[in-house]
Amino acid sequence: MTGKARQPRLRDVLLEQVRVTWLSLRIPSLVGAGLAGLATIVALPTMTRGGPLNINGWPTWLPGIMGALLPIAVWGKDERFGPGFLWTLPVDRRRHAFTKIVAGWIWLMAGVAVFLSWLFIMVAVTGEHVLPRTINLVVSGVPPVGLVDPATVRGVPWDPGPLMRLVAFSGATACYLLGSALVLGTRHPLRWVVGLGLLSAMTAMVSQPLSTEFGMGWLAVAPGRLMELVVGSRYGLDAVLTARSETLSTTAKLISGESLRVWWGVPDLADWGIATVLWTGFGAIALWAAVSRHGERRRV
Amino acid sequence: MINGGDSGRSGYAVTTHGLSKRYGRQPALDRVDLRVPDGAVYVLVGANGAGKSTLFKVLMNLERPDSGTAEVFGLDTGWSGPEVRAGIGYVPERQDAPHRAMTCARLLQHASTFYPEWDHAYADHLVRSLAVQPQRRVGGLSKGETRRLQLVLALAYRPPLLLLDEPTDGLDPVVRRRALGLLAEHLADTQATVLVSTHHITELESLADHVGVLRDGKLVAQMPRDELQRSVKSYQLDAPDGWAAPPELQPSGLRRATVGRVVQCTLVGDERGVMQQLAASGAVVRQVIPLSLEDSALAFLPEDPS
Amino acid sequence: MLFTIDPRDERPLYLQIIDQVRRALLEGTLRAEDPLPSVRDLAGQLVVNPRTVSQAYGELEREGLIYVRRGQGTFVSSTIAPDRRARRALVRGVAERALVEARRNGLGVEELVTMIWEVAAEDAAKGSHSMTPASREDEEGVA
Repeated sequence: MTGKARQPRLRDVLLEQVRVTWLSLRIPSLVGAGLAGLATIVALPTMTRGGPLNINGWPTWLPGIMGALLPIAVWGKDERFGPGFLWTLPVDRRRHAFTKIVAGWIWLMAGVAVFLSWLFIMVAVTGEHVLPRTINLVVSGVPPVGLVDPATVRGVPWDPGPLMRLVAFSGATACYLLGSALVLGTRHPLRWVVGLGLLSAMTAMVSQPLSTEFGMGWLAVAPGRLMELVVGSRYGLDAVLTARSETLSTTAKLISGESLRVWWGVPDLADWGIATVLWTGFGAIALWAAVSRHGERRRV
Repeated sequence: MINGGDSGRSGYAVTTHGLSKRYGRQPALDRVDLRVPDGAVYVLVGANGAGKSTLFKVLMNLERPDSGTAEVFGLDTGWSGPEVRAGIGYVPERQDAPHRAMTCARLLQHASTFYPEWDHAYADHLVRSLAVQPQRRVGGLSKGETRRLQLVLALAYRPPLLLLDEPTDGLDPVVRRRALGLLAEHLADTQATVLVSTHHITELESLADHVGVLRDGKLVAQMPRDELQRSVKSYQLDAPDGWAAPPELQPSGLRRATVGRVVQCTLVGDERGVMQQLAASGAVVRQVIPLSLEDSALAFLPEDPS
Repeated sequence: MLFTIDPRDERPLYLQIIDQVRRALLEGTLRAEDPLPSVRDLAGQLVVNPRTVSQAYGELEREGLIYVRRGQGTFVSSTIAPDRRARRALVRGVAERALVEARRNGLGVEELVTMIWEVAAEDAAKGSHSMTPASREDEEGVA
């Protein structure tokens, strides 16, 4: 064969994709930094007064959202279906897709770390802690309704251990895998998201009248139960993202008029661990299937 | 299919075997047996349609053919995609470059990481010769500027095979000539093989040494350009009323016009043999007119309905 | 160096190049030891396949008109002098082409030769060099 054309090393390809991904993340990062700056300014008066910064739950879902949206920035502009420039390069197509995915993931982890650092600094300045040291547990163990009698609440010390800090990173990763699978597997991922949203809205609207119409009582509660299963159940999305901190707590008003974060269950890291394995596994499989759509066009 | 003799070179850079691809009802490629000799400048001619671009995409493994195989330098394009692409410089038909947010310089740097053979000094030379402005954003380039950038991207690492899909499309005449001059110099430096599809056959006439004609997806002619020009000529005849070309010449009787008793038709075949057959059929040859490469190739394509 | 390609000329490109070099040698535009453009430069200038230029140069080298100095380029041979042989070769080329053209148009040799003398005489009478390639009427393709 004439021409001793060599192929690039995978390491060099990965490095270049990391650099290129940063180029697409410059603007979102700027926006994020701007928002953080704004939040800091808003919180500044509280901080300087020395009072406790009442973070009723930090934006726990933010790493998850970052992970889910990142693939749009990573893949958005490039033509991934059809004869895109990416596929004309002398790299195995599936491998190339994975280097881009890994490059995005690296920046995601960096972004989550930056976000958490900012949060800790903000909170530490006021002497608070991001994670509550004491959980105000409702004795009855069920979500309270209306005003809460302080007598029904008792403080329980809570120390989940250093592993809790990983929750944000694993949650972001799981969402990133799912988001990447959607972006790579479908030509118009936004249509799917919007469609899903519309579908759930419609079913929510329709389920009640339909159930009375057809006398199927379960239909009325089905959409709600499904949401609960996917998001709030023991191994649902919330378990992955926050070890169920969101579903097990709420800000309630006490009889005395104060606001207090009350819990009806203690977040369990075991739940988080299993949920992470499940969702990350599912995401990885979905992603592999999506990437395979773009593999080399080998004939059978 | 009218096939010419071997170019005499050992080995083919590109071969396809019964390559077929269909989009909907129209066959873009219909059992194409392409043979591009090593080191040749092969011009692919054909009407507007998916055929030529589809062929290029199959060679780059951007499309899977319905049937048939393709090989570049002996490697199957489906099974050795990345290896094959490492040796190809590809200018696609579309004129939009990737990574619109990058500057031209950054895009070139990006591409250079994928091709270890990238010659930075040569890339600079190409950028200067084609007047590509390195600091311009890729997304802000006009079609012509994008095309020039794509040419730099394809030539900078001196690949042994160049696949050029309408490379001068969108370029003004001055730039076209400069680009083609650059291509000629490039060919002098590297022993590259070129497969180029074009509408402007005329400007490639002096570069081309092989011609292939695609019609309705079929490769109806493929031969060295000298042979093509020798075997396709225009004959001006004094023909009796009701004269028709003899059956042996009929299938290749292309392009026929009549003014009064004078018939002018383009015929394929060795000149002497054709003259004899025409004489035998009762027509008197007034003039034999050789055709340009463009006209000889176009003779294989259907005439305009008008 | 002034080389041109005439796309309407049906001669193979490499012959056009050879003839131009020969003509330049005859006119004295190219003299002994003068450098010729490299294959690369000439190909780029004329937008011509480098192989065509190589073929032309190869032929000229075979005829002893030019030679290649390793690492320095192509030059006109030192033994060149305006040569009767070369001139004859040039005239022969022109004559051959004229005869082929005549035959194509169904004309005889005598007719052609007579007409050449006639036209030449007219041209001389006009006192101008109107019979230069640029002003020559295009006879090809006209019914």
